[in-house]
Amino acid sequence: MPIDAIPALIAALLALSFLSAVAPVSRWNRRPIALVLAALASVAIALLGLAALTGGTPVMVEAGTVLGFAVIHVRYDPLAGLFMIALGTVGMASSLFGIGYEGGDSHGAGPDRTRAAYPVFLASLALVFGADDAFAFLLAWELMALSSAVLVVGARPGPEVARTGYLYLTLTHLATAALVVGFAVIAATAGSTDFATFGSAAAALPPTARGVVFVLLLVGFGTKAGAIPLHVWLPRAHPVAPSHVSALMSGVMIKAGIYGIVRFGLEILGPGPEWWGLLVLSIGVASAVLGVLYALMEHDLKRLLAFHSIENIGIILIGVGVAMLAYADGAPALAGLALTAALFHTFNHALFKSVLFLAAGSVQAAARTRDLNILGGLARAMPVTAIAFGIGAGAISGVPPLNGFASEWLTFQGLIGAGGTEALSLLARAAALLAVAGLALTTALAVACFVKATGMTFLALPRGQGAAGAGETSRSMGGAMIGLAVLCIAVGVGAGPVAGMIAGIAAGPLHLGPVAAGGIAAPVAGLQAVYAAAPIALLLAAVAGIAWLVGIRPRTVRRVPTWTCGIAPEPAFEYTATSYAKLIRLYFGPILRPAREVTVEMHAGTPFPRTVRYDGRVSHVIDERLYGPLHRAAVGGAQLVRRLQSGSLQLYLAYAVTTLIVLLLVAR
Amino acid sequence: MAGSLVLGALQVAGTLLLAPLLFGVTKRVKARLQYRRGPSLLQPYRDLAKWWRKESVESDAASPLTAAAPAIVLASVVVATFLVPMVGIVPPLDGWGDLLVVIGLLALGRFVLALSALDAGSAFGGMGSSREVAIATLVEPALLLALAGAALAARSTDLGTIAGVGQAAGLSWYTPALLLSAAAFAIVAVAETGHEPVENPDTHLELTMIHEGMLLEASGPRLAILMYAAELKLVLVAGLFGAAFLPVGLARTASPVEILVALGATLAKVAGAAVALGILDATLAKMRILALPGLLTTASLLGAVGLAVRLWLPS
Repeated sequence: MPIDAIPALIAALLALSFLSAVAPVSRWNRRPIALVLAALASVAIALLGLAALTGGTPVMVEAGTVLGFAVIHVRYDPLAGLFMIALGTVGMASSLFGIGYEGGDSHGAGPDRTRAAYPVFLASLALVFGADDAFAFLLAWELMALSSAVLVVGARPGPEVARTGYLYLTLTHLATAALVVGFAVIAATAGSTDFATFGSAAAALPPTARGVVFVLLLVGFGTKAGAIPLHVWLPRAHPVAPSHVSALMSGVMIKAGIYGIVRFGLEILGPGPEWWGLLVLSIGVASAVLGVLYALMEHDLKRLLAFHSIENIGIILIGVGVAMLAYADGAPALAGLALTAALFHTFNHALFKSVLFLAAGSVQAAARTRDLNILGGLARAMPVTAIAFGIGAGAISGVPPLNGFASEWLTFQGLIGAGGTEALSLLARAAALLAVAGLALTTALAVACFVKATGMTFLALPRGQGAAGAGETSRSMGGAMIGLAVLCIAVGVGAGPVAGMIAGIAAGPLHLGPVAAGGIAAPVAGLQAVYAAAPIALLLAAVAGIAWLVGIRPRTVRRVPTWTCGIAPEPAFEYTATSYAKLIRLYFGPILRPAREVTVEMHAGTPFPRTVRYDGRVSHVIDERLYGPLHRAAVGGAQLVRRLQSGSLQLYLAYAVTTLIVLLLVAR
Repeated sequence: MAGSLVLGALQVAGTLLLAPLLFGVTKRVKARLQYRRGPSLLQPYRDLAKWWRKESVESDAASPLTAAAPAIVLASVVVATFLVPMVGIVPPLDGWGDLLVVIGLLALGRFVLALSALDAGSAFGGMGSSREVAIATLVEPALLLALAGAALAARSTDLGTIAGVGQAAGLSWYTPALLLSAAAFAIVAVAETGHEPVENPDTHLELTMIHEGMLLEASGPRLAILMYAAELKLVLVAGLFGAAFLPVGLARTASPVEILVALGATLAKVAGAAVALGILDATLAKMRILALPGLLTTASLLGAVGLAVRLWLPS
C-alpha cells in the first residue's frame, strides 16, 4: 500500500469509530467497536510515523479545503514522525485498555455519547503533528482542545467536574489566542499561512517583533504542555478524565506543546537571542522541581501522576532550553545532543506515563478509590497491574536500565556539556550548571515520590475496604499495561540505537546536515561519555540472577506476622502517603509552606481523647500568588463593568448615541 | 589489552573480597577511640557467614518483592563498583558507563531497597524508607555538583578519563575549584554511606534508624546480601572519591611495580576513608534529622562555589 494512502485510511477508521459511537443504540453501538476501530487507526498512525521517520522524504498529502478557501496541507517529516509513533503506541494501548475499562465501568448504564469525542481526539492529534499550514494547525489544535474537554467533563458530569472543564477551556483558549496572534504576525510578513514560508518570514522580522512572537508562542504551547506557571489546568483536568484518556492526554497531548516549541521556537524562529534559551531553561527547572514537589504532597494517585507530567515537561524543556542556548551561540553538536535528550525524554515519558495512568485506572476500577492513604496490599491481588506500575515507576524515577534513565542521562550530558562549552556566555554556562543541581534534586524527589506511590498502593496490608476486596482487572487492560511496560524496558535496554535514530530527527529542526547515527556514546563538544545500556542491563540481570539462585531461591523461608512490638499487626501501624512525605514536607517547608490543623475531641469530663482529626495541606505558590490576584482582578473588573449594564433600554440608546458622537468627533 | 584485564580482575577480586574488612576497620577505629577493644577485624565476615547459614523469616504481608530486592540491590552496587577505576587507570568495565551511570545505579539500589522496606507493613520500615529517600534529595544535588566539577576539569564524565587526566596533570589537578568540589563530595559521602553525624550505623534504637530500619525485616541470607551490599557501597563511594578527586597511584600498565603501587595507593585511600568514618562515628553526635538540610545544603553550596570558581577564574 502506498504510504500516501495511510492518512486517508486513518481518517476513514476514525470516522467509522466516531459513527459507531454516535449511532443509535444497536449492535453497532456496542462499546468495544468504536475502540477496536480506534486501536486499528492507532496502528496506522504508528506506521505512518515510522514511514515518515525512515522514509527519507516527508509524507505529504493535500486534504481538501476548509470552508472552501484554506487548503489543508499535511506533511509528516521525521520530527512529526516521532510524535506520531508516540501517538500510535499510546493510542493502541489506551484503546485496548479502554475496551476493558469502559466495559467494567458502572458510571454510564446506557451508551455514553461523549465517547464519540475519543476518535475525534485521536484524529486531531494526528493532524496537529502533520499540519503544514497555520489554518490546518489551529483547526486541529482547537479540535484537540474541545474533544479532550468533552472527554474530561463527559465521563462524570457534576459541579466540580464542570468547574474543571471550564478552567481547562478558558486556559486552553487563552493559549490558542496567543498562538493565533503569533501566527498572524508571521503570516502577515510571509503573505501566506503556509508553514513552508514561515521560516524566511520569521527571519525577516525585526528583533523585537520576533521576541514578541516567541513569547506568544511560548505562552500558547507552554500552556498546553503544562509548564509552570501555566500549568494550573493540568493537575485538575487529568485526574478527572477516564484513565485511558488521561494516558493519552498526559502521554501525548501535552507533548503537542513540546512539538510546537521545537517546531516553531527552534526550527521556524531559528536561532534567537540568549534570553530565549535562558527563559526556557528556567521554566524547565521550575517546572521540574515544583512539579515533583507538589506530586510528593499528593495522595490522590492520578493527581500525583498529573503533577509528575509537569515535572517531566520540565525535564524536556531543560533539554530544549540548552538546545536553544547552544543553537544561538553556534555550538551545533551540543544543540543536537540537548535536543536529542529532549525528544528522547518526550518519547520515553509518553511510554512510562501512559503505563502509569493505565495502571492507576486499573487500581481505581478494582479498588474504587484513588486515595493512597486507603489503598495498599494490591501487589498480591493484582500482580499484573503491580508489575506494570512498578516498571513505569522505575522508568519515571530514572533508574537504569529503564528508558527514563537513558534520556535523563542525555539531559545531564547536555547540561554538563553546556557548562564546559566556551562558545556559550558565562551566564548561560552558569545557568546550565545550576540546572544540574535542579535536575539532580528532581530525580531524587522522583525516586521518593514513586517509592511512596508504589509502596502505598501495592505493598503491605490494605488500609481500606476497597483495596481489601480488589482483584485483577480484565485481560485487555492487563495486555495494554504489560505491552507498554515491555516497551519501557526495551527502549531502555536499546537506548543506544534509539538515541542514534532520535539524533537524526533532532538534526532537522536545527538545520544540521545528516547526523551520523553515533548513538548514545557520541562525543559532544569535547565532552566524551558513554552509557552502554544493553551490557549494563545484562550484567545487572546476571548478578541479580546469581544472587537469587544461590542465596534466595533455595533457602527455606518461614512466613510469620510482622513484629509490631507484641500486638497484632494492623494496617493502622503502617506509614501512609502523608506520613511518608512528612520529612520532605518539612525539608522543603519554605517552598511548600505546609499548614496543619489537629482537632482533638475529649470524652466529656475526662482528659482522654475521643477522636483526633488531622488535616494538613500545602500551599501552591503559583496558584495563590499569581492566579489568586489575577482571578480577583478579573472578578473585580467584571463587577466594575457590570455597573454599565443596567438593562435599561434608554441607557443603552444613550451609550449608542454617545459613542456615535465621539466617533464623529474623532473621525472628522 | 591483557594488561587491563589483569588490572580489572585484580580490582574485581579485591573489592569484592575486602569490602567487609573495611567495615571492620571502621568499627575497630570507633571502638579504640571509645577505649574499647572492639570486635575482630574479621567480625563482618563472621556475621555474613552466620546470616548465610540461617533461615529467612519474612512477613506474611510481604509480596515477592521482599525476596527479589536483595538480589537487585546487590547487583546495582556490584555493577557500579566495576565502573569506577580503583586499581587500573581505567575501570574493569571500561566504556560501559560514566559517573552518571554510577549515580543512576545507586539510585536503582535505593529505589528497590526503600520500596522493599515498605513491604512488611511495619512502621519501622516506613520510617527508615522515608528518611532514606528524603535525605537522598539533599545528597543528590551536592553529589552531582561536586562530580560535575571534576568532569568539567577533565572535559569528560567518564571516570577512567577523569582519573587519567587528573593523574597526568599531577599537582596542577588540585585547583581551588577542585578542592571545593572534593570537600562537597566528602560531606555527602558521609551521608551516602550512613555515618555520623547523619546516621549512627551501629544503632538498634528504632527511632534513630535509617538504613538499619530498612533492613529490619530482612533475615538470613537476604540480610547477608543486603549488609554485604552496604559494605561494598562504602568501597564504591571511597573509590569514586579517589578516581575523581585523588587519582594518584592508579596503574597505567600491568607491570608488577605499578600494580603494587596501585594496590597500595588504593588500599591506603579506601582504608583512609574507613578510618575517617570511624573517627567521625566516635567523635560526633548524631544531628537532629531536621538539622540535616543545613549540613547537606552546605555541601551543595560548596559544590556550586567550586563550579563558579571554575567558570569565572579559569586557571
